[in-house]
Amino acid sequence: MQRRNILKAGAAFAALATLPRIAAAQDNTITFGGSVPMTGKAAETGLNVLRGYECAAKFVNEEMGGVEIGGTKYKIALNLFDDASDPTRASTLIQRQVDEGVGFFLGSFGSAIVLPTCAITEAAGRIMVQAGGGSDQIFTQGRKRVFGIFPRASRQFVSSVNMFNALDPAVKTVSIIYTNDPFSKFQADGAVASLKEAGIEVLDAIALPAEVSDVTNVLSSIRERTPDVLVCTTHDDTSILIARQMISSDTNVKMLYQTLGPQTEAYFKALGKYANDVVTQTYWDEAANTSGDYFGSAADFATYYRANFDRELTYHMASGAVCILSYLEAARAAGTLDLDPVRDALAALDFKSFYGQVRFTEDGDGDPGLLGPMLMQRQEGAMKIVAPEANASAKPVYPAPNWRDRT
Amino acid sequence: MTLFLQTTLNGLMLGGIYALAAVGFSLIFGVIGIVNLTHGVFVIGGAYLALLFFSEFGLDPLISMLPVAVLMFGVGWLYQRTIIDWAISRASVEASLVVTFGMAMILRNLLQLWFGPDVQTITPFYSFFSVSFGPFRVDLVRLVALGASMVLLLGLTLVLARTHFGRAMRAVAQQPLAAALSGLNVKSIHAMTFGISAALAGASGAIIGIVQPFSAATEVAWTLNAFIVVVLGGVGSPAGALVGGLLLGLINSYTAQYFGPAFTQAAMFLVLVLMLLVRPTGILGNAYGETR
Repeated sequence: MQRRNILKAGAAFAALATLPRIAAAQDNTITFGGSVPMTGKAAETGLNVLRGYECAAKFVNEEMGGVEIGGTKYKIALNLFDDASDPTRASTLIQRQVDEGVGFFLGSFGSAIVLPTCAITEAAGRIMVQAGGGSDQIFTQGRKRVFGIFPRASRQFVSSVNMFNALDPAVKTVSIIYTNDPFSKFQADGAVASLKEAGIEVLDAIALPAEVSDVTNVLSSIRERTPDVLVCTTHDDTSILIARQMISSDTNVKMLYQTLGPQTEAYFKALGKYANDVVTQTYWDEAANTSGDYFGSAADFATYYRANFDRELTYHMASGAVCILSYLEAARAAGTLDLDPVRDALAALDFKSFYGQVRFTEDGDGDPGLLGPMLMQRQEGAMKIVAPEANASAKPVYPAPNWRDRT
Repeated sequence: MTLFLQTTLNGLMLGGIYALAAVGFSLIFGVIGIVNLTHGVFVIGGAYLALLFFSEFGLDPLISMLPVAVLMFGVGWLYQRTIIDWAISRASVEASLVVTFGMAMILRNLLQLWFGPDVQTITPFYSFFSVSFGPFRVDLVRLVALGASMVLLLGLTLVLARTHFGRAMRAVAQQPLAAALSGLNVKSIHAMTFGISAALAGASGAIIGIVQPFSAATEVAWTLNAFIVVVLGGVGSPAGALVGGLLLGLINSYTAQYFGPAFTQAAMFLVLVLMLLVRPTGILGNAYGETR
């Protein structure tokens, strides 16, 4: 009997040892684990998200002196590794951190990486809040501990369709170009569904391979059946390639709308004046009328970021930062750093921030009504918000002038 | 018919770039027997150098091709005389496969450290123009790229066929021992071959930089393309690279037009497998293999 008690005690001790180390109690630090593409194909945006994480951590630690949770003040530490834009490497890194007992994870960038890594954290009962994966698969496979700042890809096109309907003349036909990856394809599928529901005809939905070096033939098809709007749910480099070849082949549409690419400095450098009038999405803008605890307003966040970081500010920094703020708000509401209460608090989260009102759907993705994209258009070299009308800083230029006439 | 001809034209334009980017890979494979997995890094390294010349000195990539080629020649020569030569002499030619793979990873990351991960493009004034021939239309940069490819491939053909160095290189490729016994410095010629290969890769990188966006991560695609081009066209000769490159461009273009762009890579690899099964030496065969 005594031996059995010893065995029970031993088993209980072993089980305790494997419990997640959520916060290092000795130095009152909350450690966030995860991986980010610091090198490789997705590094350009991956570094943007990383700077967002770093910005939030720096602000909380240095400006606020930490955050109080359940009567104890905690500082933040980031334990993020370079996954080299490689899902396999990212999975190995996340599994290792899970084994080490990390409880709170921040996401990588790109659905192809977030998908396998969030499966690991979910299976281990850990939490992930991420601003890098929008694929529907992340949110529709019954996970309870994965939260995304962005709405799932298939719900990201509602505001775009609203703008198309509001344009004069209204948009009647759209063609879509997408790449065969989990994010791009789901976003294109969502766009097709939203457009059809709104009665807008989809002329073509053209899939590109992951590596693209030429779209001449695709553009021949576009010229043969010219849509009012050409939507590209492609990544940065492919968006630049498509735009360049559209210009040189004089393929004109009333609106070129590329979901990723035109936000970046690289796009503007590559296209110069031709970047004008191209429409894109943004999930945050420093001119937005949003504010909350922590940084203050959107403009305050931009000021703080620029004072401390060199990398050009894009919405990815803001969405990265708000991942950490969401964790902190949830932990404050729960009054503890235990996983289950924090998870429940995240699911119930509804707070105002510099990023806007943060609330997740039952499936964990961002509420499309609150966290859906705004539409931006570069006008005379400056990015302007053109939809939704409530946040707009300019009216959309539509129809856009032909490439040869752009100034 | 117009669509078919336009598609063919598009394929040939793309193929010209593939051919130039692959000829250096083919040369090293033919002469030394090394599958140089660092090749894509040389190509993208050339693109970055051309970008530097363009942004710092305003030098058009078609002009900066020359200094880029000279610089890359030095890099290639040094690379062979040190790392490759050490690997071959201490292990085997096959060991170079692992060494070049490892070096490609290291160099890719170094490029990323120096130039950052952001997508880059070189945008000279003619980037956005096209040329029309009746009903057909071609991007000017792609036409320029094809022209530059032809000139460089012709130049290499002349060097290999007409110069003492070209004859020496062919002799080393055919019978290294006999070449050494005849007084040729085989090691030096191996290093020169690597240098020329890197120079051609760098020059092609300068052209690729004006045709499409690039970053350090895209080097992998150029090594892979070069490998397919060599399997299709044959090893060791500019003509083989040209045939392979144009064929790859046409496969890409026809598949994109008639089956959908999503199938281009599948078609490329299908043809690669079929070629390896049916004619593993490529269409023009190994320029030196039969005499070995």
